[in-house]
Amino acid sequence: MHDAARKRSLRKLRENAAQCVIYSAVMLVSAVFIWLLIDLLRGGLSHLSWEFITELPRDAGRAGGIASILVSTLLILLVAVLTAVPVAWMTAILLAEFVATGSWFGKAVRFSLYVLAGVPSIVFGLFGNAFFCVYLGLGFSILSGGLTLACMLLPILASTAEAGLRAVPHIYRLTASALGLSRAAALLHLILPAAAPVMAAGLLLGIGRALAETAVLLFTSGYAERMPDSLLDSGRALALHIFDLSMNVPGGDEPAYASALVLVSLLLCINILAMKFAYGLQRSKLMP
Amino acid sequence: MQEILRCLVVNSFCFVLAMGYAAQLGAQTKNTSQRLVVTGSSTIAPLVNEIARRFESTHPEMRIDVQTGGSSRGITEVRQGIAAIGMVSRALKSDERNLHAFTIAQDGIGVIVHASNPVTGFSRQQIADIYTGKITRWKVLGGADERITVIHKAEGRSTLELFVDYIQRRNSEIKPHVIIGDNAQGIKAVTGNPHAIGYVSIGAAEFEIRRGLPLRLLPLDGIAASVEAVRQGIFPLSRPLNLVTLGEPQGLALEFIEFARSPQVHDLVEAQYFIPVNAD
Repeated sequence: MHDAARKRSLRKLRENAAQCVIYSAVMLVSAVFIWLLIDLLRGGLSHLSWEFITELPRDAGRAGGIASILVSTLLILLVAVLTAVPVAWMTAILLAEFVATGSWFGKAVRFSLYVLAGVPSIVFGLFGNAFFCVYLGLGFSILSGGLTLACMLLPILASTAEAGLRAVPHIYRLTASALGLSRAAALLHLILPAAAPVMAAGLLLGIGRALAETAVLLFTSGYAERMPDSLLDSGRALALHIFDLSMNVPGGDEPAYASALVLVSLLLCINILAMKFAYGLQRSKLMP
Repeated sequence: MQEILRCLVVNSFCFVLAMGYAAQLGAQTKNTSQRLVVTGSSTIAPLVNEIARRFESTHPEMRIDVQTGGSSRGITEVRQGIAAIGMVSRALKSDERNLHAFTIAQDGIGVIVHASNPVTGFSRQQIADIYTGKITRWKVLGGADERITVIHKAEGRSTLELFVDYIQRRNSEIKPHVIIGDNAQGIKAVTGNPHAIGYVSIGAAEFEIRRGLPLRLLPLDGIAASVEAVRQGIFPLSRPLNLVTLGEPQGLALEFIEFARSPQVHDLVEAQYFIPVNAD
């Protein structure tokens, strides 16, 4: 009786300890994020205003705002996502739904995606500069920057989407087939909506990487800070602007902090929107 | 399957249309405006960006695209014809004589240490010894008994070439602890480490000292490092900031270079902590 009670309390202690360790790990992760956020807020909040977002940069970015840079960043992102998403998700659908897992073709495609995912971003920058800017004659432009980023996004988007599609229970496909649904209809109405949250998460990862990219864009979309007129104009991305302000412009720290704050809020907004959209899609399709 | 295929075909068709439209738009703006690509030194890039903005405001049909990546890149791309004008933050070397250089400003390079460092100055020989690893402790120079952190620039930066030239050593002999890129990074590296020594643009360093950063410029060869000394031409470590072209500049390039050397931009040059030059 006494022995059993001791055993129970020992087990409880062990459980509590495990819980403690897990909680402290979680705290550590959020502490890093909160510290980062507080640091950004402290450095940038005083400089942040409506004018900062709507005005053009002046005096090498020390004065004025970041309007043109925000526009360039969003255009680059748009080009990259619009180009990469169809290609990457079609590849994922092919790999997960239409090709046998062990076939040499699937293996070859997957292998090339892994290799692409492991290439350092500066290599993409040099490739983009040589191929899009010089060989295709696009010059330093938002188009070449976006297309280079699209090459970087391909492996991330394709592999996350493939994982998402594979995570959909096989019983869904069998049921759809038993009900006489064509493969395309099952994919469109059942499997894609079921995989939507994972695919959206992959898209967010990709967008995050694209927004953070500096070196690649220095070589492809360029340094010009004016408002872009077309996709063939050179435009400076936000991450590059932050890098230039903090590393190359004396006295550029405050606007750099404020720009970083804008970048982080932009990411948060895109995150929330994409997640909402993905869950909405899933609910409307799967739970009528 | 058919449904998907149809969807895909329509989708990719729309995409191709959109891309074509974008290219069309771009081609139109390209026709209506003249374009000039300027690339090179990251030190000059912010200044030329400002000059370009003012130039565009008086010449609305022209577009100046400023890119960056270092003096070496400026020279390479001008030679390849990718850029019309290069930015080079040093005098041209003997194998670059085929290029034409136009000085738009002067810049001095000063040796900086942390403000708490008691050392008041050293000779050219001592700087060389620090950078080649012969002197490793501040005590030898009259400072605290601490190890010296040597901050050096990355290969290809013209500040580095000028500095190495000044201490009469080759770059391979130098044993740095920290490698940095641009000026502001060098200043951050020294303010963050009381035992560090580095070299940066004097204008940028003076500005940060006025803003209250714990930083000190040391005299070289007994001459105090200041913008004034560089202006008078007595400071031993100074450099011209050049725009370079392959062959005589013509048309838009010539117009822009003349504008960049005119007194109309002296306030911009001073705002970036450089020293204006008189064109004649």
